[in-house]
Amino acid sequence: MQDSPLSEVGAAQVAPTVTKKPIRRRSKRLKAWFPYLLVAPAVIYLLGITLYPGIYAIVQSFYAVKFGPWNPVGFDNYVKLWGDYQFWGALWNTFLMGAISLSLQCVIALTLAFYAYRDPWVRGWRIIFLVPMLFMPSAVAFIYKLMFLDARVFSDILIRIGLIDGNLAIQSSIWGSRALLILTDVWQWTPFLFIIFVAGLQGQDEEIEEAARLDGATWGKIFWNISLPLMRPVIAVALVIRGIDITTMFANVFIVTKGGPAFGTETISYFIYRTGFKFFNFGYASAASVIMLIITIVVAQVVVKRAFKSGKD
Amino acid sequence: MASVRRTKSENLYIRYLILGSWALFCLMPVLWFLSIGFRPRTEIITAQPVYFPTFSMDAWHMIWSDWPMAKYLRNSVAAIFGSVVIDLVLAIPAAYSLSRYEYRGREDIGFYILSTRMMAPAIVAIPIFFLFRNMGLLDTIWALMLVYAAINLSIVTWIIRSYMTDIPKELEDAARTDGASDLRILWEIIIPAVLPGIITAAVIAMIFAINEFLFTLLIASTPDAYTMSVALANFTGGSDGLIYNAIALVAFLAFVPVFLVVVAIQKHLSRGLTMGAVKG
Repeated sequence: MQDSPLSEVGAAQVAPTVTKKPIRRRSKRLKAWFPYLLVAPAVIYLLGITLYPGIYAIVQSFYAVKFGPWNPVGFDNYVKLWGDYQFWGALWNTFLMGAISLSLQCVIALTLAFYAYRDPWVRGWRIIFLVPMLFMPSAVAFIYKLMFLDARVFSDILIRIGLIDGNLAIQSSIWGSRALLILTDVWQWTPFLFIIFVAGLQGQDEEIEEAARLDGATWGKIFWNISLPLMRPVIAVALVIRGIDITTMFANVFIVTKGGPAFGTETISYFIYRTGFKFFNFGYASAASVIMLIITIVVAQVVVKRAFKSGKD
Repeated sequence: MASVRRTKSENLYIRYLILGSWALFCLMPVLWFLSIGFRPRTEIITAQPVYFPTFSMDAWHMIWSDWPMAKYLRNSVAAIFGSVVIDLVLAIPAAYSLSRYEYRGREDIGFYILSTRMMAPAIVAIPIFFLFRNMGLLDTIWALMLVYAAINLSIVTWIIRSYMTDIPKELEDAARTDGASDLRILWEIIIPAVLPGIITAAVIAMIFAINEFLFTLLIASTPDAYTMSVALANFTGGSDGLIYNAIALVAFLAFVPVFLVVVAIQKHLSRGLTMGAVKG
């Protein structure tokens, strides 16, 4: 099978005498389209949940939508959003809690992976480290709500040790509540980074480490100077995936803090949910969605593309 | 020589101290929550936490008799199973196309599929809610099925694509010279060869579907469409507040199957979680 136009002409000329040829030509055109046909259903399905809602949100963001008809309001929603300290607060909280949580998870997971990856004994029991990740996020949220807020086990243990006198007022403190959400996320998702880091480290050539060891380098030095730089693409991919999931944090906020106190733990997802489905201010919520969509597209183009390119080779 | 050996054993000591304490940190809340599931409600929220509760199966009986637990389970299983089937039907041809053909726009299509994974559910929540309302699908498991399939399609495609890329070209070429069509090659050679990848993708899609919370919360408004993830948030007894022992049991009911399948695909887990980018 050749793709040059010359062979096509030849095929057309011979066509009347050889009955097989016309079929082959049609199948050739089909051949060019075949890969597109294969990928099309998936792309159409995904356009249905990204492009359609995206356009819908953009259109809706120029209307005041309560229950009844849509009233066009121009850029009012965006102007209001610009001056809405709760919206900026939600963006800030999402970034702040996400950044702290992600850094903690990365450092802890790297430390654990460093100690675990060449240890045959740990390898067999690795599944223990994964347990938190295998619970539903809503279940984990309830574990931490009960442990820290409702049953106050954490306070009780600190009192028994003698560190504090009375129960901690976690609920009424902004940083207490933030710390609780961060802890919940760290507990559940550090295993995610851990398993990826361990896989990345185990995939590296053991002989390089062995050679460095024979040269008298200590284990920590080998890790820091050789293994870690080689791990950069793996770390990038893992952090990008985790970072995206952290910024969409919703179940924890919904169950544990409801965004409080004083909107101190409200994430952008919860802000959109609250404006849309609690106050039924759909146009306004859509405007917030559009802003978030723009941020997502920029991040996806700049960060994600690069991470997944380098992760592949 | 002696000093070298001592630092080595000291290292081991530190290593197991750190790993051991993290394992404890992981397991203690889980074990404690398990104990919540098997204690009477009177011993859950008290002035002083109860560390040695009396054993009780109250919650177990309650979730089956007072709550439509069987229905929640059925909803979860149907929605998740359906969504995984949709995903595989769409993703396998797409992954085949992205991994085995050269054509214009391939990289961009691949990246577009990946980028849908970056979309926060909250961004599309309102339009999707209206879409399903207009279609009359609100509060049905069909809507959940479609949404779960959409959420996971990018992940499933990329995982399978990564496995398909690894298959040597010769395998295909041999079949092609025998005159096999592209679809037959996909069905008879490629799919059997990437079966571990397909299973990994299906398992990971299943886990994310079980975990899904925001869409389910918006779509499901009665027990007709509650799944386990959202049903948890509805175990409230009015003025009595949350029924934690029931919540704990449901949490473990969802945990056990996930744990078992993850043990089964452990080797492929890191590759699956990174959508094929990290080969474990």
